[in-house]
Amino acid sequence: MTVLIQILLILFHVLVFPGFLFVFVCGLLLAGIDRKILARMQKRVGPPLLQPFYDFFKLMGKETIIPDAANKAVYRIAPIAGLASLVVTMNFIPVFSFSSFSFSADIIVIIYLLTIPAVALIVGGSASGSPFAGVGISREMVTMISYELPLILILLAVAKKAGGAELCFSLSGIVAWQQSTYLGIAHWSLIPAALAMLLVIPAEVGTQPFDTAEAETEICEGPLIEYSGAPLGVFKLNTAIKMFIMTSLFTCLFLGGIDTGIVALNALILFAIDAGLTILCMTFIHAVTARLKIEHLFKFYWTIVSGLALLSLILVWIGL
Amino acid sequence: MMNIMQHFPVIAVMSLFLGAFLVEIFGRKNKIVRNIITMIFVAISFLCIIALIKPVILDGEVISYWLGNWEPVNGYAIGIGYEVDALNLFFAILVVLTFTLSAIYSLRYMEKDDHLGHYYTLFLMLSGGVLGLVLTGDIFNMYVMVEIMTFAAVALTAFRNYKKGALESAFKYLVIGSVGSGFTLTGICLVYMQCHTLNMAQLSSILANHLTPTTILALALIFIGFGVKSFMVPFHTPAADAYTTAPSSISMVFSGMVNKAGVYGMIRLMFVVFMMMDKTAMQILLAAFGTITMFVGVTMALAQHDFKRLLAFHSISQIGYVLAACGLGTALGVSGGLFHAMNHTLFKGLLFLCAGAVYYATGTTNLDKLGGLSKKMPKTAICFLIGAFSISGLPPFNGFVSKWMIYQAAWSKGVETNNFFYVFVTIVAVVVSVMTLASFIKVTQAVFFGQPSEKCENAKEVPLAMRIPMWIMSALCILVGIFYNFINTNLLTPATNAVFNATNYIDKMMGSGYAAAAGVSETTIEPAALSYWDPILWLILFVIILAAVCIAILTGKRTRGEVLVNKTEAVDGKYATFFGGEKSEHSHVSGSDLFWGFKKNWGGYFKFMQGMHSGDVNDYSLYTVIASAVIIIVIFIFIH
Repeated sequence: MTVLIQILLILFHVLVFPGFLFVFVCGLLLAGIDRKILARMQKRVGPPLLQPFYDFFKLMGKETIIPDAANKAVYRIAPIAGLASLVVTMNFIPVFSFSSFSFSADIIVIIYLLTIPAVALIVGGSASGSPFAGVGISREMVTMISYELPLILILLAVAKKAGGAELCFSLSGIVAWQQSTYLGIAHWSLIPAALAMLLVIPAEVGTQPFDTAEAETEICEGPLIEYSGAPLGVFKLNTAIKMFIMTSLFTCLFLGGIDTGIVALNALILFAIDAGLTILCMTFIHAVTARLKIEHLFKFYWTIVSGLALLSLILVWIGL
Repeated sequence: MMNIMQHFPVIAVMSLFLGAFLVEIFGRKNKIVRNIITMIFVAISFLCIIALIKPVILDGEVISYWLGNWEPVNGYAIGIGYEVDALNLFFAILVVLTFTLSAIYSLRYMEKDDHLGHYYTLFLMLSGGVLGLVLTGDIFNMYVMVEIMTFAAVALTAFRNYKKGALESAFKYLVIGSVGSGFTLTGICLVYMQCHTLNMAQLSSILANHLTPTTILALALIFIGFGVKSFMVPFHTPAADAYTTAPSSISMVFSGMVNKAGVYGMIRLMFVVFMMMDKTAMQILLAAFGTITMFVGVTMALAQHDFKRLLAFHSISQIGYVLAACGLGTALGVSGGLFHAMNHTLFKGLLFLCAGAVYYATGTTNLDKLGGLSKKMPKTAICFLIGAFSISGLPPFNGFVSKWMIYQAAWSKGVETNNFFYVFVTIVAVVVSVMTLASFIKVTQAVFFGQPSEKCENAKEVPLAMRIPMWIMSALCILVGIFYNFINTNLLTPATNAVFNATNYIDKMMGSGYAAAAGVSETTIEPAALSYWDPILWLILFVIILAAVCIAILTGKRTRGEVLVNKTEAVDGKYATFFGGEKSEHSHVSGSDLFWGFKKNWGGYFKFMQGMHSGDVNDYSLYTVIASAVIIIVIFIFIH
């Protein structure tokens, strides 16, 4: 009997909260908020808040065209592999004091799980056989190399700050540390890392000005060019979920100390913070900047953003 | 039973050498005789090593064998001894696995070549050399095996001597390899001069607490010698050429066991015989060379235009991971290093076999001339993707677990010792991993996806005998990644224990109590706690995969129906690739300039590295000598 309950609980975690359904709703809502606010910033009316939901269900019902040049199996599996890994990732990120499993994977696992959706996009685009996708995947890969260095520096800085002389490598450990002292962002030595993280989020999600890989106006959405119907819908969903997961990761690292004790309320607070972060680091930057060239993007991340993160790591390392 | 068992190590080695002679005598003319002889002796060797798993790893015994029954007299070992503990056996398993699969693959892969009698003779000599190297308990015997291995490897590098550059790369390998062997031999002579014995168990107990300046010099020389054999930067230069021009079955053997032999020598001599790895200076030296190796290897790989040359630089880079992990000197680090060595054998072997399959089907490995092979060779493409994901360390493939252990070990070492150097190692290791992924994306795009190029129009899937080793390797990549806990408790922990506790190793050879009398201390190694992934997560993953498969089937069904109906009627190019309204033409985005956004920023670095890899063997010898001088000086300054 207990085994059955366990299995049901796991299914609940995977499929409902904080798994698929939760990220599905939150991700698409964030995408809706992003579009609405962006439109208001540009003095447009903008689509309704639920437009991403309509888009998703519409795409699900459309015909899927697979080009002749494509490798059919890879083309079809890629978006779903990305979605699956995003759902797993969300199960590893604690919602304040709530984490869906008694243990928690450490930050290395998170980094690697976060690379899988990008790899899925790359492999899927590559499998579609289009030269536009070829250009797109090359840029996506360079973007990935660009943000991976600052991301690891940020995570190590926070882990060192949380652990001190002890070894602390897990996200739930970092959250527990914040609850026992105060918010991560309140430690001044972590502020450069927080800034760097705010800049890593848009690149990881792929919003302007860091959307070089998908550049609609230039290479027609790059890796996605041949995609249509349900797989396209899943890729769009992946982008929306990534928005939610990356902002949640920020919340967990730097604002993890908030805890009301009620899981539902915690989830609501998480969503509110994520919406704020989305507006701050994606909508706002999107509204005021133009797309970067890929070599400038790389340079920006390996100098300024990595520099901020490294500064934080060094400050933390010398004990400040 | 025990009495029979103790003959197994020596039978495993001798059967390969015997096979080499028999192939040369009886197998020169007749293909079937040759293949049968080869397979029989390879199988004998394979089974002998597999049979040793139970006593050595499960029961924790050490098996020893004195050649000619020359046992120690008055506490001095005179004869040559073979000694197998968990560490040797771990490497021996990798070795027999590699050459067995390579032999099966060779049957079809090499069928178009001439003089196959020589090929199999050299192949068996190489296998025997490496297996002897990892099983022997005698340091001079080790040197002899190194020489056999190097010369067989050199000859096999030039086996396809009609290929451009084959002889040249063999020559480079010969020169740099001989320099390495020379250093090893000098080191061994110095050790013999000081200790009057060549038996490693006895040396270990003599050297444990008594290092003289001469033995420190010997340590430095042996370090360099095995550094050359494991192709550590800057000794890596012959590897890139040799792996490229050798037949793929041999490239697989090179990366699967020949450079592992160097790693084995490094671990055995540095940890067990000299017991130097508890010194901070040695740790940093090895970890620093490992870090440089992984970085230089991967950046050079990004600049390559040839499939096998790219894989060769990745081999160098992955060995960097192994050396850096061993250089941490902690139990977790050594476990991670050994695990990565094992995974490297699996996935790099697989990737070289895929490269061989591509060469077999198209006759080229030039990335700019290939394209669209996944439609012609879907099975090879799947194997390649598994290998590529494994080497890039995506979960849940095997590369992830070992890389995870290495990061964890490096970071915890950094936190424990409060040394920023280890944080640097961690960061470089993560970045190198992403770059590895990048360069495999490049190969995937250039070779398997996109539009079929001229060379690939008539490519066919390779024969079954070549696919079987590829499937075995792929399956092992996935299984090891999933059941890593089984590997950890049953292979890695005993091997790590053997690395840190020489007592058993010494006592078995020299009589019990010998190690304690010499003052060799014992430490207990707990199994590394690997907790990133729990049984519960299996269920999660299962549920997700099930759901994903359901979705894929649902979306797939609808498409298939419509495609069948519409395909013939679609005159408007509905299923053609989008070209923005232009006439569709062959426009494959090939691999060579895929990452120019990255390379442009690093232009100076790439220019410098390309200048350094001049292809001139004089330059390469110079790097070897300079690096050797640096190593000797560093060791002399920091170790007292």
